[in-house]
Amino acid sequence: MSIRKKIKRILTLALTASLCSVMTMTAFADEPYNSYSYDSWEQPVPSQSAYRISRTITGYELGLSQLRDPSSPFYVSDDAVITLSGAKDLFCDEDAREFWIADTGNHRIFRTDEDFKLKGVYYGVSGKSEINKDEATGLSNFNEPMGLYVKTSMYTNEKMVYIADNKNARVVKAKLTTGNTLELVEEYTKPEKGLYTQTTFNPSKVIADNAENVYCVVTSVNTGAVMFARDGSFTGFYGANRVEVTAKVIAQTLWRKIASNDQINAMERNVPAEFNNFDIDDEGFIYTVTEKGNTSTDAVKKLNSAGYNIWNNNSGNEYKFGDITDAVWDSVSNKKHNKMLTDIVVDKFGRMNVLDFETGRVFQYDKNANLICIFGTKTSSADQRGSFSQPNAVETLGENVYVIDGAKNDITVFTTTTFGQQVHKAVNLYDEGKYTDAVPYWNNVMDRDGLYTLAYIGMGKASLNQEKYTEALDYFKTAYDRKDYDKAFKYAREDFLRDHFTAIIIIIAVLIVLLIVRKILIHKGIIVIHERERI
Amino acid sequence: MYEYSTIGWLKHCIFHPVEGFEDLRWKKKGSIPVAITIVVFLFIAMVVDHQLTGFAYNMNYVKVFNVVPLLVQSVVYFLTWVVGNWALCTLLDGEGTFKKIFIYSAYALVPYIVCTFIAVILSNVLIRDESIWIVAVQWLGMGWSIILMIQAMRAAHQYSFGKTLVSMVGTVIVMLLILFLAVLLISLFQQLYVFIYQIYTEILYRVRG
Repeated sequence: MSIRKKIKRILTLALTASLCSVMTMTAFADEPYNSYSYDSWEQPVPSQSAYRISRTITGYELGLSQLRDPSSPFYVSDDAVITLSGAKDLFCDEDAREFWIADTGNHRIFRTDEDFKLKGVYYGVSGKSEINKDEATGLSNFNEPMGLYVKTSMYTNEKMVYIADNKNARVVKAKLTTGNTLELVEEYTKPEKGLYTQTTFNPSKVIADNAENVYCVVTSVNTGAVMFARDGSFTGFYGANRVEVTAKVIAQTLWRKIASNDQINAMERNVPAEFNNFDIDDEGFIYTVTEKGNTSTDAVKKLNSAGYNIWNNNSGNEYKFGDITDAVWDSVSNKKHNKMLTDIVVDKFGRMNVLDFETGRVFQYDKNANLICIFGTKTSSADQRGSFSQPNAVETLGENVYVIDGAKNDITVFTTTTFGQQVHKAVNLYDEGKYTDAVPYWNNVMDRDGLYTLAYIGMGKASLNQEKYTEALDYFKTAYDRKDYDKAFKYAREDFLRDHFTAIIIIIAVLIVLLIVRKILIHKGIIVIHERERI
Repeated sequence: MYEYSTIGWLKHCIFHPVEGFEDLRWKKKGSIPVAITIVVFLFIAMVVDHQLTGFAYNMNYVKVFNVVPLLVQSVVYFLTWVVGNWALCTLLDGEGTFKKIFIYSAYALVPYIVCTFIAVILSNVLIRDESIWIVAVQWLGMGWSIILMIQAMRAAHQYSFGKTLVSMVGTVIVMLLILFLAVLLISLFQQLYVFIYQIYTEILYRVRG
């Protein structure tokens, strides 16, 4: 073998080896979790990823180093903390395409643009508040702000920022001034009315409706969200959860009937789990999530302005949110999880993203609570991007989904894959009732993921609209959608009867005639039936 | 008196619940092959109900089809019923022989089987709003079979009505006992089998060194 050939061989080998390593590299850049969804039997099935991790934003990417830069307008001091710490909330102002970040551990709030370039830093509000006054700056400083909500006021057309200032026991309503500071408009503190019986008032989340009624979730208050009118007066509680009916609760109810008053007082009280977070959509519906482990009653609610739950399982429907309990599908830790839904966000399409704190998964639903996709995971040993340690809040802007992590101190940005985009287009059309328009998108989705149940239901409804009943029946059968199958079957049966009406009538007539002829023949003795056979 | 074919006697029993089985006993009629066929059809009815019920009505988990539970629910339950009833009623002055109990019980099941088939057919042509008809047919079959069963047992053992009911409730308890013992026996033998198999493996390892 000549040297040339040898060199050639070595080169080829080296090339192959490097190629191989490159291929493993690409496999490694995949999401640190397996995408899945649930089929009609509520069993987990593998699915395509609808979202992929685009990037993560830490204090550095936010440009927090400007806080130490004297030449910057955001300069604070030379030893200012330039990382996030225990961030509890992220809010997206969709009109202005801005993000608001509650940096809870550092008692401050950030405003950024949609690329997370810093636009404002707020340590407190100016105005006539006496709470936590900073003598040096004259601001009323925040103390662990945990919840944020931003809305343009319909009355004054100014940008209003609502802050659940947890340790200061107040909710701040401030307006964003032209000088990029926050100016106090209203301060909501512990209600003095008799209805509010708790000794503490520690708001953790806040929202406001169009009439600027303020709703806040207060730690350890289980009678619902505390509600304030625009003028700052306490108006009551909103949308309490119900007690989850378990065997223990039923047994206690029975015991209470026969126990004496002293015994009843000594018993554990059955109180509902409080909901921990909420969001409000453009139509004024309020969506709540309950974090308590594995709760099934009222885990996610859609409340109208009267506090009535529209997604009520009692009215014959079955709404399920988060992981279906006992379903194990974690290839990383391979264990069962408690479900702890910690945040919910509703975007302008009506799509909901529900964040599970325990598993770090984001569950995306359409506006009728059909599961669209699941993504994200809890920190694995690899500690990769897209795996969370303390996922605290989820937000959306356009198609993107953002998750803020209070332990890793970063924001993860998820962008849609082609599959995700197709699903979203299809689902949007489907939810508008434009079943036929959604067909090409559903076809694309089915090409990519043949186990995607909603695609079959969508195709079935499109066929039903086009009066292709047998096709519709086929699709509904594949999707195991009994309700819609039944609807399609009604029309298919009508169609069949109409098409074959003459044939059916002729067969019935012939049978009747035959029976009559037989009877006549027997009567006349032409056909003789043996007595033994006659019954 | 009546003179019927084998199938004729079956029809007579079904459509004359009051004196049908008494006539059957008086005439010493009733055929084992027919009874066995009925039990086989009971099993078939179970399978058909599980697999061929209309899609909108079928709530069964169809991803996997396992015939064993259906076999147990039909044939095994029926045989335990016969054995249990015979064992109990022999002690309670019943006149029925094992053969008689087997034949009469099988004859009494016919309405249930027929109505199950009819319900399956109906479920394939009716929508869910009309499900009342299917429920009606199912209840009809069930009720008719229960009435026939009471009459059959009464005729077989020559009991009064009250005693028949007591003996039937007793039979159900005996069935539970039999099944419990059977399960116990099976699990014990399984452990015995595992034990022997372990000894076998152990010896095998030693022999191989």
